[in-house]
This record gives sequence, structure tokens and C-alpha cells, in this order.
Amino acid sequence: MLSHLIIGASGLYLGDMLFIAISFLVLMALIALVAWNPITKMMGERANKIANDIDTAEKSRQEASDLADQRREALSHSRSEASDIVADAKQSGEKQRATIVADAQNEATQYKQNARKDIEQERQDALKNVQSDVADISVQIASKIIKKQLDPEGQQALINSYIEGLGKHES
Amino acid sequence: MNDPVPTVKFLGLTFNVANDLSVLITCLIVFVVVFALSRHIAMKPKGGQNVLEWLVEFTNGIVKGSIKGNDASHFGLYAFTLFLFIFVANQIGLFIHIQVGEYTYVKSPTADPVVTLTLSLMTIALAHYAGIAKNGAKAYFKGYLAPFTLFLPLNIFEQFTNFLTLGLRLFGNIFAGEMLLTLISGLTSSDNWISYIYSFPVELAWQGFSVFIGSVQAFVFVTLTSVYISQQLSPEE
Repeated sequence: MLSHLIIGASGLYLGDMLFIAISFLVLMALIALVAWNPITKMMGERANKIANDIDTAEKSRQEASDLADQRREALSHSRSEASDIVADAKQSGEKQRATIVADAQNEATQYKQNARKDIEQERQDALKNVQSDVADISVQIASKIIKKQLDPEGQQALINSYIEGLGKHES
Repeated sequence: MNDPVPTVKFLGLTFNVANDLSVLITCLIVFVVVFALSRHIAMKPKGGQNVLEWLVEFTNGIVKGSIKGNDASHFGLYAFTLFLFIFVANQIGLFIHIQVGEYTYVKSPTADPVVTLTLSLMTIALAHYAGIAKNGAKAYFKGYLAPFTLFLPLNIFEQFTNFLTLGLRLFGNIFAGEMLLTLISGLTSSDNWISYIYSFPVELAWQGFSVFIGSVQAFVFVTLTSVYISQQLSPEE
């Protein structure tokens, strides 16, 4: 097989070498056209896309954690607000209770006083009526007694005893 | 193996039909495979695209192993094509050997020193071109005087041996593999059927080993290619 090398050691291989080199270069050009350029382009695009995706993922993760923080903050805020509201309501309820009780007490004492006053008034009225009645009755009695016996000593004692009794009643 | 070579004369140049046909077939196989694998290129790779991208990553990895920085991207295509071409060229001789009369027409193209030396010449030429293009002609020629003027013949000789060893290593490995395959298949003879029984496993084993050698040699060739290119790109290192 190697005999042909020895025979033609004088520029015989230029044709072969040209053929080999040219066919290799043509192959390289075809591969570049058909596969290499699209593949490397796609690989570059993919690398970019992955880098972008990683960045975007990082960003959205950050956003999500920010949102979670906000939510947590809002939640604790609303919790304290709720407890404030409850406390306020309790306080105002307490106040209202106190005023209601005080009002009721005032009213009750007012009623009591009024009632006492009324009772007093009525007693006074009753006493007055009784006094006038007593006077009338005593006059009638007196007239009756007078019709029976009219001695001055007896009359005097009777009137005195009446008046005394009246004074006792009035006090 | 000492077959006469079918030659054709055209435009005053002599063409070795066996080499040229084999190279053409190799190119065709490489192109068809790459073409078939690159049909549906999408952002989300599947099937053939995965295979192709794995190959691209592999050859890019070889190139980036020795060429540093941004320059590596210029040589990715060359390394990719070179690797596929040499790999296929190494393997086709293992199962295709077309012989018509006493002429061999199709075999491993890399089992011929003309082919391998042409490839290594291309590599060395590319390396020197890249060195001049990057560092300028002045720096390039100064590189021959490094570390001092007395090294000039040694440096020139080194480039020449780089070219020779790169081509002859590949040729030697593949040629030896094919030669042994031919010898093993020569053990069989049609009037002795027992010879098929014992030569079959031997042939099988050697073919398996040749596949391994062919892959390793393709890898070595591309690795050395990128090493030589990187030497020219940054000669002071």
C-alpha cells in the first residue's frame, strides 16, 4: 500500500491534498450552514433565557417575600386595631353603664324624695282635713253636749282637753 | 495491503481515487448525520438536537481546555468538523473495504498518510494564521527567536515535527488497525470452515479495539490541534 508513496514522491499528492482540503472545507461550510450556526445561536439564546429566568425568579421571589411581609404587618396591625376597638368598646360600655347606673340612682332618689314630699303633703292635707273635721265634729259634739247640760266648768274642761289633743296631733 | 492504487489524471494533477472516494464518503456520512440531527432546533432540545449539542459541548470543551478566553469560540466549528470527520474516517474502514479487482476503492481515508498529513497541514496552517492575525507578523516572527536567537533552527524544526507527528500519529494508528484487520480476515479460507470459527472472535475483538483507538485518535488529534493553535496565539507561555 505504501509503495505508491515511494513511487510518486515528486508532487504527486498535490491533487489529493487539494481534494482532501477542499472537501473538508466544503464539509465545514455545510456544517456551519446546516447545524453549527443554528445550534450555537440557539445555545446562546438558551443561556440568555436561563440567565433571565434566574433573574426573574429571584425578583419574583423577592416580591413574594415582600408581599408576605406586608401581609404579616397588616395582619398584626389589624390585630392590634381590633384589640383597640374591643378595649374602646369595653371602656365606652363601662362608661355608659356607670352613667346609666348613676342616672338610675339619681332618678330613684328623686322619686323617693318626691314620694316623701307627696306623702308629707298628703299627711299635711289629711291633718288639715282632720283638724277641720275635728273642729266641726267638736262643734257638733259641743252643741250636742250643750243641749244636754251647759255648765261653764264642764265646757271649759272639755274645750281645753280638745285643744290639747289637737296640739299633740299637730306636732 | 500492497495494492496498486487507482489513479486518475485531471488538469495535470494526479488523484488517488481510493483516498478521494473515501474522503468523499466520509464527508457525506458526517454531513448526513449532522443534517439529520439538526432538523428540529428548538429552545427546548430533544432527540437529535441533544446529541448534536452534546457533541458541540464536547469539542468546545476540548478547544476551551487549551485555548483561553474569547479566542476559543473562533475554533469551535473547526474542532467540531475535524473531530467528526476523523472519527467517521477512522471507523468506516472497520466495516467498509471495497476492492474491485486488485484496486481498493473505499477504506479508512485516515489509513493513508496523505490524508492525515493534509489534515495536520491544515491545522498547522490555521494555527500560524491565527497567531499572525492575533499578534501581528512582527510578534509572530519574533516568536521564532524565543528564548534567544540561537533557538531559531530549533523552533522551525519544532513546527515541522509538530506537523509530521500530528499527521503520522493518526495514520500509524489507523493504518496498523486496518492492516491487522486484513491479516485476521486473511486467516480465513473458503475451503477450511473451521478457520471462520476461530478468526471470528479475534476479528471481533480487534474491531472493538479499533473503534476505541479510532475514537481516542480523533480526540487526540483535536486536542493537539487546539494545543498548537493556543501555542501560536500566546507564544510567550
